[in-house]
Amino acid sequence: MKPAILNLFSPRSTLALAVALAAGGGTAQAAVSRGLNQLLDSVVCIDVREVNFEEGSRRFDASIGSGVVLTDDGLVLTNAHVASPRAVEINVTLANLEHVGAKLVGWDHWTDLALLRLDMDDVRRRGLKFSHAEFGDSSKLFPGETVYAVGTPYGLKRTVTRGIISNTSRYFEDDRGVDGYETGAFNTWLQTDAAINPGNSGGPLVTEDGRVIGITSRAYLGANNLGFAIPANVAKTTLAGLVHDGAITRSYVGIVPSPLQDLEKFYSLALDTGMLIASVDPGSPAARAGLRGGEVLLAVNHRPVDARFPEQIPAIQNTIAGQPVGSTVVLTLKDGAGSRDVAVVTERLESSVGEESVLEAWGLSVRKVSRAYARENQLEDETGVLVIGIRPGYPAEEAGLEAGDIITRIDQQPVASMEGVRTAEEAYRAKPAPTLVEAQRERRVALYILKP
Amino acid sequence: MIAARFHRVLSAAVLACAAIPRIAASGGPPADLPALWAERAKCVVAVEYTVETESERRSMFGYGTVVDSMGTIVLPAGSIEANLPPSQLKDFKVFLPGDSTAWKATYLGQDVFTGWHFVRAEAKVRAQVVPVTAFAARGPSPVPRIGEELWGIGFRTKEEDFLPYLLESKLSIIQSLPDLTATALQEVSGPGLPVFNRDGVLVGLALESGEQQFQEYSQMSRGGETVLLVDVEESSIFELADDVLPNFNRIPGDVDGRPLAWLGADGLEPMDRDVANFLNLGAQSGAVVSEVLADSPAAKAGMQGHDIILAIDGKALPRFRPDRVVVDYLEKQISRRRPGDLMRLTVLRGAAHVEITARLEDAPKLIREAKRQYFDGLGFTVREFVYQDAVQRRLKPGEASGVIVHYVKSSSPAAVAGLQPDDWIREIDGAPIGSFDAALDRLKAASQDPLRTECVLLVSHGGDTAVLRLKLNPEPAAAPR
Repeated sequence: MKPAILNLFSPRSTLALAVALAAGGGTAQAAVSRGLNQLLDSVVCIDVREVNFEEGSRRFDASIGSGVVLTDDGLVLTNAHVASPRAVEINVTLANLEHVGAKLVGWDHWTDLALLRLDMDDVRRRGLKFSHAEFGDSSKLFPGETVYAVGTPYGLKRTVTRGIISNTSRYFEDDRGVDGYETGAFNTWLQTDAAINPGNSGGPLVTEDGRVIGITSRAYLGANNLGFAIPANVAKTTLAGLVHDGAITRSYVGIVPSPLQDLEKFYSLALDTGMLIASVDPGSPAARAGLRGGEVLLAVNHRPVDARFPEQIPAIQNTIAGQPVGSTVVLTLKDGAGSRDVAVVTERLESSVGEESVLEAWGLSVRKVSRAYARENQLEDETGVLVIGIRPGYPAEEAGLEAGDIITRIDQQPVASMEGVRTAEEAYRAKPAPTLVEAQRERRVALYILKP
Repeated sequence: MIAARFHRVLSAAVLACAAIPRIAASGGPPADLPALWAERAKCVVAVEYTVETESERRSMFGYGTVVDSMGTIVLPAGSIEANLPPSQLKDFKVFLPGDSTAWKATYLGQDVFTGWHFVRAEAKVRAQVVPVTAFAARGPSPVPRIGEELWGIGFRTKEEDFLPYLLESKLSIIQSLPDLTATALQEVSGPGLPVFNRDGVLVGLALESGEQQFQEYSQMSRGGETVLLVDVEESSIFELADDVLPNFNRIPGDVDGRPLAWLGADGLEPMDRDVANFLNLGAQSGAVVSEVLADSPAAKAGMQGHDIILAIDGKALPRFRPDRVVVDYLEKQISRRRPGDLMRLTVLRGAAHVEITARLEDAPKLIREAKRQYFDGLGFTVREFVYQDAVQRRLKPGEASGVIVHYVKSSSPAAVAGLQPDDWIREIDGAPIGSFDAALDRLKAASQDPLRTECVLLVSHGGDTAVLRLKLNPEPAAAPR
């Protein structure tokens, strides 16, 4: 059985910790380098208040994580599961325990990274001081190398734990790993045994000289010291993209990869060649180009690929994702004893989790059906919003709607956008009148009346 | 035509009547229940049969009612597990109440309209049974009144020689669901067995516990789970005699129950009263068509998904309490017809009333009719890809190929490789599978070759496709030392 991997993100609750005070001051540990000292002054605690749409009403949750300041103009890197676009208030506690506000600059659930900017006007006005950290090169790490995890577990400020690099390229992919969003398809992770607790999320993993070689992200639930971090080299690229655009744009062709290990003989392949295409998303660019599950991909844009092992897959996925959206990618596929080239025009990669909203007058939380969601669930198109929550006693529940239903029409008009749904609800709010809703459950279409 | 056949059955019943005590007129002095009991216990039998699958043989039992002088027995739908191919149903036997003698019987098939399975007892035993029609009223059957005393027959187990016992109750309510369905205060007869009034006149046929769920419709949310009422051996609800009597001659033409009238309007959902009011349909009843299946009579007639069916042959759909029953009503209206029959439907499309005339067809091959083959060396059964498989996978019928996994033997090479029932096999050993026979050839080759070490399948399950490797004829492991 696969243990659950937990986001290290601590719900903020009254935490009664019995702390035994160590007696005496003792002599300072001389081994701590100047670099590590500077790093410690760049680690921050992040308190987030975010809106939650889940049960047909607007609610606010508070939570806590860690982060690291990376520039002197106040850019803070943390996890996507710590600060998301749902955040309505972000408060940062600097290493010197001063509080300052921050805003979300960008967000990327695939690498589980989010970028914040401190309120620099406030920082200047109050003359607040902080340090900023430097990235190291995560490709030079070796298993057994000593690393430190720095963060604010359970809100405990500036906690340093020590461990080693346990694995430099751990494959871990989760379709719902970051608050229900996909993660891990385009990068591998660093694994460490440094103690990592809830609230460590978003803090840096550093070498002895204080350079950031990873961003601590998650740990195996119930295991001892199996922690994962995003490698610094991935974080650097994501950071640059987020500063520039607030988001990372990736290309999508629609192939679901799988390792080739043990199948080389069946496919008459030389070792270290090719990646198995386990399936092709229906309606995707790859499907339209005639690709099928069970085919073997030999090269992307004429550069050979090798995915005997799962650990090799994210890099190949990232190569495809890194092509400009709308560009043509040449995929070379095994064809009998030879090969054939297929030109595929990429689309923009979308999450299967669409925009969420709450329609309070109806007691209904909804999420837009995205193209990816429609493909996964074999829907005809992207029409509609998915019901994700219902408020007991409100019109949606009274009418018989349930979580999982897809609302396809309101008053006989197809639901094309979230905006359209909100407009309909506003009209209802202004002048409550029976409203006809058509919804699909599994594949059955039924009609419901929302009434005041 | 059906009416004429019905008359013949009735006259047979009248002849049979001559041999038995006359039915007492209702309202007279209390009838002699032991005498009535002794006669009426002859119209019920226990039926045993064997289900033979790849891995096992199971003995099953059901209770049935004798419906004609040919020894034809009606078993309720749930007596035989749904979707079992008739080829897996073997060794039908009939037992008379309280008698351990097993008589041979033949399975005749399932009627889609009633759901009943028909079985015929061997000639030798026919003289010892009496068709239930002998106890039916000569004119219209009596409709029991609230509080009226009713009784029926239960069966003990095989170990007790299927001894019959008396069940008795009073009528509580009659509802249209859509057939007139009566509920008694408590269990009144065995499922599938007759219910009589005080005078011994047939008033209905008990429904099985599965059908008792109809009762629960009014208590559940739309689409919610129904509560299964407990007792599977005894039933407290029954369908009224005049609704069941005309169906006793619906003996299927073959064991597959063909022909099966088919419209192809899928996923019917009831239109509730609020929706009808909103659409200015007043008290009109209706059903939403979720999907019109490709190449079906409905599609050819121009029906569209999201149409709301309001009337059949110009007659508005009746309103039921609860609304959901309209779906069963519509389905029965289709299944009672025959392929080739015209069905005129009035549908609401947007704001317009549209008339559609569909010519019903014989339904495409069902899963239970699909050809199938078990491969012992591989450890799984494949079956033909049929129309319903295409519908379930949202494929255009005719465009899809391959075969479906029907059964996987535990710990077999197929099971170890991760093959599961309902997997869709698209390629075998790298070759696309165009037909069932092509799959058989490939699988035979794989299972019979002693030198083969593996068989590679390309399989889809849900939206995912995977390559599975079945390990065959493994090399002997190193000997223990």
